[in-house]
Amino acid sequence: MIPGRLDLTWIVLIGLALATVLVPSLATRPLLGNALLLTFAALKGHRIVLDFLGLRAAPALWRGLVSAWVVIVLLFAWSVSAIVALI
Amino acid sequence: MSATDCEQEETGWGILEDLPGDPMIWVLIFSELAAFGLFLGAFIVARAIHPAMFAAGQATLDAHLAGLNTIVLVTSGWAAARGTAVARARCKQAARGWLFGAMALGGVFIAIKLFEYAGEIAQGNGLETSPFFTLYFLLTGFHLLHVGLGIVILAVVSWRAEVIGVETGAAFWHMVDLLWIVMFPILYLVR
Repeated sequence: MIPGRLDLTWIVLIGLALATVLVPSLATRPLLGNALLLTFAALKGHRIVLDFLGLRAAPALWRGLVSAWVVIVLLFAWSVSAIVALI
Repeated sequence: MSATDCEQEETGWGILEDLPGDPMIWVLIFSELAAFGLFLGAFIVARAIHPAMFAAGQATLDAHLAGLNTIVLVTSGWAAARGTAVARARCKQAARGWLFGAMALGGVFIAIKLFEYAGEIAQGNGLETSPFFTLYFLLTGFHLLHVGLGIVILAVVSWRAEVIGVETGAAFWHMVDLLWIVMFPILYLVR
């Protein structure tokens, strides 16, 4: 892993972390706010999986398994909150 | 039997050999992800059952402190990743420096989290206050223990600063980072 990519990933993660804290005050509609929050979390998770955990160069099976864990947990959180908001 | 088959018989780890660090750490990482996934699933379902109670509990949390801790932990992860990169280039002293930075930031994360706990406890909230706080304290407390364990692991591997050791310790550290990234919005921000 080249340092340049690690530094870029770190900057992206900091930007997304700051954006995450701002979402609740900017997105007043819970469904949209939750979707934004969880999308930002998925993007952060994706960069950590690829560049920090170093799975960019690993077989697709492992990269897919860890990425799937991130997506499944976040999608479940959004789906359940959406169902509760709609009923 | 091919040469690849012989190699796999010697190591015994098969396809786990393709991952960075000691394959055993990946068995632990996948186990931890499964356990935390179920735990977070329980929190999400409990919130759906008691939305008002969970909203009231969440409103007492300090999302800004938790956001600051996200920045601290991802910066620590970056330092661990830089440490791994220089360890691969056989620069042991530089690797130790980066890993020390990662550990120090891990210590900052723990200090901020304990400060946050102190505020929550001062408000009268504890493990038995409500299902929200039971799950909140268990999830974040279990994660905090992993941060402490991660610091110990990084300290051990930085002693020799060999590539396999540093990769192994950093993989555990990045898992702790990944868990927090997923946990933070679900616990503090999702409504």
